[in-house]
Amino acid sequence: MPRNSGRTLTPWLLIVPSLALALFVIGYPLYNIVFQSVHEVSRFGLIRDFCGLDNFRKLFADPVFIASLWRTVWWTLGVVGGTVLVAVPVALILNQDFYGRGVARVIVMLPWSVSLTMTAIVWRWAFNDEYGMVNVTLQRLGVIAAPVHWLATSTLAFPVEILVGVLVSVPFTVTIFLGGLSSVPVDIYEAARIDGATGWQQFRKLTLPLLRPFINMAIVLNVIYVFNSFPIIWVMTQGGPSNGTHILVTYLYERGFRLGKPGEAAAVSLVMLLLLFAATAVYLKIQPREKGEA
Amino acid sequence: MAVDRRKLRRSLVCWLALAPLVVIVLFPFAVMFLTAVKPAEEVFVYPARWLPSHYRWANFSDMWVATKFGVALRNSLIVSFGSMALAIAVSIPAAYALARFPFRGKGGYRQFLLVTQMLSPILLVIGLFRLAAMIHWQGGNMVDKHISVIVAYAAFNIAFAVWMMSSYFATIPRDLEESAWLEGCGRVRAVFKVFLPLAVPAMAVTAIFTFINGWNEFAVVYTLIRSDANKTLTVQITDLVAGRYTVEWHQVMAATLLATLPVSVLFAWLQRYLVKGLALGAVK
Repeated sequence: MPRNSGRTLTPWLLIVPSLALALFVIGYPLYNIVFQSVHEVSRFGLIRDFCGLDNFRKLFADPVFIASLWRTVWWTLGVVGGTVLVAVPVALILNQDFYGRGVARVIVMLPWSVSLTMTAIVWRWAFNDEYGMVNVTLQRLGVIAAPVHWLATSTLAFPVEILVGVLVSVPFTVTIFLGGLSSVPVDIYEAARIDGATGWQQFRKLTLPLLRPFINMAIVLNVIYVFNSFPIIWVMTQGGPSNGTHILVTYLYERGFRLGKPGEAAAVSLVMLLLLFAATAVYLKIQPREKGEA
Repeated sequence: MAVDRRKLRRSLVCWLALAPLVVIVLFPFAVMFLTAVKPAEEVFVYPARWLPSHYRWANFSDMWVATKFGVALRNSLIVSFGSMALAIAVSIPAAYALARFPFRGKGGYRQFLLVTQMLSPILLVIGLFRLAAMIHWQGGNMVDKHISVIVAYAAFNIAFAVWMMSSYFATIPRDLEESAWLEGCGRVRAVFKVFLPLAVPAMAVTAIFTFINGWNEFAVVYTLIRSDANKTLTVQITDLVAGRYTVEWHQVMAATLLATLPVSVLFAWLQRYLVKGLALGAVK
């Protein structure tokens, strides 16, 4: 009897430290955000009166918030979609046996190793109007006649930021796909070749279905990361020019720490949380239920 | 010989197909390096040129003084090492429990980890700041203290560390420990004598990746750290760029290069373990 209860207690004792730390650092802020979002909060963080859903009402009356909300959707779709489209062929190539594959893998993985902040700083400089190397190179190649004001025009800056987002998300996604491809047995391809299947048919009928669970996982994880991604837009344009590149996280940060409205910022956090949970629920719903998960 | 030629042709096709991506990946590194070694007066000439007229290595030493690089470097090291140590210390037992014990609440714990992955620091930043401001610490509160950043990073790294390590731990054969028990070795001693030595590589690799995460993080330090004396590299360098009318780009690029290169080399060396670890974790 004591032996038996010891057996069920041991694993719990082993996970308690991690559980406690995570609950402390994540649980309290979560509670605090809910609390602040329904109170009037001064710019110095003094909690004033309970104000119900006033903070939320203010948000939804703010056109910048609504625009940021939509832009977050485009940002997430654009970066995640672009990443998957680039990562599938790249993973297929890196799974081939060719000279210099090791080097190629390292190069493809490189953007992952660099802090998003540093990447954003370098690209901000590269896209500089007069002195940036993007304009210099494009002019040299004759693609553009005069310098393009990339980051000073929000309709250009936002797509540029999406491209940077794709670039930094590709390595992680390729990593997941390579893991998936390594679990694909080689002999089924040989069987397919003997049956006369073309390369495209092999891809459609064999590779893609086998990769499907990994693509799903990459989409879910990337949606979470990209939705929450802060440094690229904050460092490159700070949500500007004229609020034209704000997504929810940058809007949240500006409200909370620049404009001194912590209550409204907390409300943005909650809206984002709800969106994330809604997306997860939708995903679980449409995800075809296979075997029970461990 | 004929086979080799086929592989050669395949290599050519593969590299050609990868070429656009390779160019875009290497582009920022080229920009970083070539701007960092340009003499200041050549950075702002129109039309700009890729190559400097001569390599000015003194940019690095100038930058080191002008940007207080040394202070920020020390802070980055403190924060990254601290959060790595704390995250690994709490994650090893948890990963071991997941890999070795069936227990009630295992699924719930896994799900909890998944949820912590969804709640990024930036989402909770308002609450994190309040938490740090609320706790009394050394006669003040925890805002502008390294320890608050360390604890926050560690917490957000638990999910990754547990995931990586438990998938590796599960590949270490259980029989080895069990045969040690048969020889009269206690359960706890078997863990230390038999299991842990075999688990060292997995722990080291995971530790290095949590270190890199800490090194590269931005939002938490940006919010919790206020004084220049305590800022880490990511924030210190961002401050050189954001909201400034004139930016000394050659110094900024020298600083980003110096802050990036060691970590990139480390990462390049270890990335194949990450591929393996994540794949193992994914299949389960």
